[in-house]
Amino acid sequence: MGGPLRQGMKAGAIGGSVLVYLAMVGMIAKFDELVLIGTQVTLGLVLLAIPPLAAALAASRPRVVGGRVQRLGPVEGLVAGVAAGALTGVVIAAWLVVVDRIGIDRVRSVFVAVSPALVDVLTFGKGIAAGAAILVAAGAALGAIGGVWRSLRFGLRRPFAIGVGVVLLLAMLQRIVPTILDGLNIERDWLYSKVTRGLTWLGAAIVLVVATAVAAFWLDRRERASAAPAGAGRADTRSIARAIGLVAIVIAAVVLPRLAGSIVSEILGTVGVYVLLALGLNIVTGYAGMLHLGFSAFFLIGAYASALLTGANLVTAFGLVPPRYSADLNFYVGLLIVIVIGAVVGALLAAPVLRLRGDYLAIVTLAFAQIAVILATSNWLQPITGGPQGLRDVTNASLFGLSFRQPQNFYYLVLFFCAIAVYVSWRLAWSRTGRAWNAMREDEQVADAMGVSTSRYKLLGFAIGGAIGAVGGALFSVKVGTVQPGSFEILVSITVLAVVILGGLGSVPGVVVGALVLLGLPGLLSQLEEYRLLIYGGALVAIMILRPQGLIPNVRRSRELQEEERTQDAWQEIFAQKEQAAAERADAETTAATVEEGS
Amino acid sequence: MAEVGDAARARALGRLERFPVRRIVLIALSAGVIGAVAYGSIKTLTLPAGEAYSASAWRDFIVLGIAQGAVYALIALGYTLVYGILRMINFAHGEVFMAGAFGSYFFADAWKQSGFMDDQPWLSIGLLVVLAMAVAVTVAVLLERIAYRPLRGAPRLVPLITAIGASLFLQNTFRGLFGSQTRGYPKPTGLEGTWTILGIPIQKVQVLVLVVAAVALVALTLFVARTKTGKSMRAAAEDAEIASLMGINVDRVIVTTFVIGGMLAGIAGVLFALTFGNISYFMGFAPGITAFTAAVLGGIGSISGAAIGGFTIGILQSVGPALLLTGINVPSPFQLKDVVTFLILILVLLFRPGGILGTGEAEKV
Repeated sequence: MGGPLRQGMKAGAIGGSVLVYLAMVGMIAKFDELVLIGTQVTLGLVLLAIPPLAAALAASRPRVVGGRVQRLGPVEGLVAGVAAGALTGVVIAAWLVVVDRIGIDRVRSVFVAVSPALVDVLTFGKGIAAGAAILVAAGAALGAIGGVWRSLRFGLRRPFAIGVGVVLLLAMLQRIVPTILDGLNIERDWLYSKVTRGLTWLGAAIVLVVATAVAAFWLDRRERASAAPAGAGRADTRSIARAIGLVAIVIAAVVLPRLAGSIVSEILGTVGVYVLLALGLNIVTGYAGMLHLGFSAFFLIGAYASALLTGANLVTAFGLVPPRYSADLNFYVGLLIVIVIGAVVGALLAAPVLRLRGDYLAIVTLAFAQIAVILATSNWLQPITGGPQGLRDVTNASLFGLSFRQPQNFYYLVLFFCAIAVYVSWRLAWSRTGRAWNAMREDEQVADAMGVSTSRYKLLGFAIGGAIGAVGGALFSVKVGTVQPGSFEILVSITVLAVVILGGLGSVPGVVVGALVLLGLPGLLSQLEEYRLLIYGGALVAIMILRPQGLIPNVRRSRELQEEERTQDAWQEIFAQKEQAAAERADAETTAATVEEGS
Repeated sequence: MAEVGDAARARALGRLERFPVRRIVLIALSAGVIGAVAYGSIKTLTLPAGEAYSASAWRDFIVLGIAQGAVYALIALGYTLVYGILRMINFAHGEVFMAGAFGSYFFADAWKQSGFMDDQPWLSIGLLVVLAMAVAVTVAVLLERIAYRPLRGAPRLVPLITAIGASLFLQNTFRGLFGSQTRGYPKPTGLEGTWTILGIPIQKVQVLVLVVAAVALVALTLFVARTKTGKSMRAAAEDAEIASLMGINVDRVIVTTFVIGGMLAGIAGVLFALTFGNISYFMGFAPGITAFTAAVLGGIGSISGAAIGGFTIGILQSVGPALLLTGINVPSPFQLKDVVTFLILILVLLFRPGGILGTGEAEKV
């Protein structure tokens, strides 16, 4: 005995440290400004509840001891969970007391995020002593839930988790959903409060029940379907369901922004630009397996080239003047040239670095992007690029009198180009070229030996990626109306990389989901915006450790998984295997949990 | 008939395949670079007396270059040591350096205000270096434990992406903890002004930087060459698997490597802050990449290579823009100093991926 307790203590210590980190970095206080449910439940409170819960889950997970999977019983799980949760509470409470003793102003002179507002959140407005007690008690309670969670029936806990997820998602989408409901003339006061903008308790409860029931029904059906022998009829219903889903997504993509108002269109425009960029990077990195950190360079080149070709102006002491070299083409004619420029620059960058692999390639592309930004900012090229001020009066790409500067129109423009890029990616993935890239990614030497001309396919990958990136840049310049070097920093490259990695390398739907999560959510919730980069960094680390295949893995890989599913007798068995695999990654998970919660 | 046609087509394709695109691009590139360097330098050096830089200006450039080169060398060692053992670019090493500078800042600021720093300049700088080392080592060890250790044995791109994520994460952690403004790093009054050494006036801070860096470099060389831990580090760098079969705890060697890298980065952080006078959460990025360039230039994996690379890059960065660009009428050439660094990086990787002291590691590249 003593095992569960020790595991709980270890997880609790980590959970507590994560919580202290979240508090000191300012996330809890900032997220507390966003009310999710009722008047009390804020995003900060949810964030506060995650570490004890996660610590308890980690403490009560099955482990491999001496080659055998060891599951904790309900009681042991409860012990481990309560220990983990309570210790998490103790750590944060102790930190709170220490801060209070030192004096909050003195702490604040070094750690700028430790504010009275933070103390207020952590003590629930009840003073230090009572607050500390509440933290420990709440931690223990959450730990108890986390500890017994795994002892619950799978058919029960999974739907409930999905239900909670849906409630939180609806609460986070509080700027979109009510507007859509209003647009559809649906009564929504029972769901969203007019005062706090968050969900009402009644609405949250109804959503929870409905979502849980639907999820339970759906999971049950899926379980039965996978238990049934594979037959032609099943494949048919699957493809029909897929087709219906696809049509629904297309209709939603076309209609939703009209209903949700221009703020949403504005955000979706940005998301669209990043989807385009990420599709380009996905070809280079996801399909061909070359880590490209200089993608922002193509974004920059596309934006500047498009602006210069379509008659943008420089800001000088004598007012707006045309740059030294410029043309006054129609945007769509210019765009063709921009595509060619992007492809040629992509190939030129690739040509000399063909032999470099992996990390060196990454650094060279990073250096290339950095050179591009420095040159665009420099006084030397000021007569062409406008230096730090950049270029003004970028065309609005109007077509039949429609200005695409207007967010709702721009959304459709970018949607159109995204659709083309998705189609191109999709066709490429299943073409001879796609297979060649695939082979190259898996093992370059073997691919070479099998007759794949690796240099040619590398050049091709870079050229196509570059062209798509350049289109993204051109569209971005239309959206913003100005081109400034600050918009094309190396951070853009890393953001795009995060989108591709989060969604799943080589997965087109993953790219879209990744962009929606990483750019859409922070755009909607200003509270998230400030910690966007922190979250990106944490997400990159956490995904690489926990789920390197991303949220929506590459089609090929998930096909393989489905194949496996059919050959197995039942869903449960696969699940048992998954549990075992999870247990084998035991050590990795604890550390990763820390990182994940940090994000 | 058809067979002949196919054969001819195959031959033509083969010729196309053999067409040495890469070599031609490389030759054109090297000719262009050499030509541009020669042209720019000649133009600058033959400028009429009124516009040209004086001899003392060139001397100052070189001294500054050596001083910042010493800082780059210290950071570059962190890259090189880790790369030697893990074959991975620790992208977040620049942030370890930033952490060192930041960790010591609050003490430096307090001691400056209390007068301790001006009374005891040497003691306070010594303490600051120790503090910076402690903070940087903590960050480096946590980084290894949390982000890199779970990924041991993963495909090479995976830890690299993790390192990029960790870099962003650390930067924004410091931003969240300490705020986003740039802060002035205090300097003891005793360290202002210049000393004249061998008839050359050199800023006191630069002398300090050189001395400290030299001591650190010598200590590291002795450590790696003479101690048992150093020997196991060399063994692990040679072949980690065999080293572990020989009874070396490779995990421990890796932690030691991160500790040493963190210590050197901490020292570099204080020296950098004293030289340039301000710090921010973003300060790790440019020196990080520059130092990585230095490590590659010297031959990654080699300790003396990192030192040589650091000094070379430092001097090229301070002399290069003035020498190459002034003559061809580029306004404000020092804006482009990072372009010089990055071009050097790209050229080294293209022409001599093993670096100056490299051992023909081209296949590992």
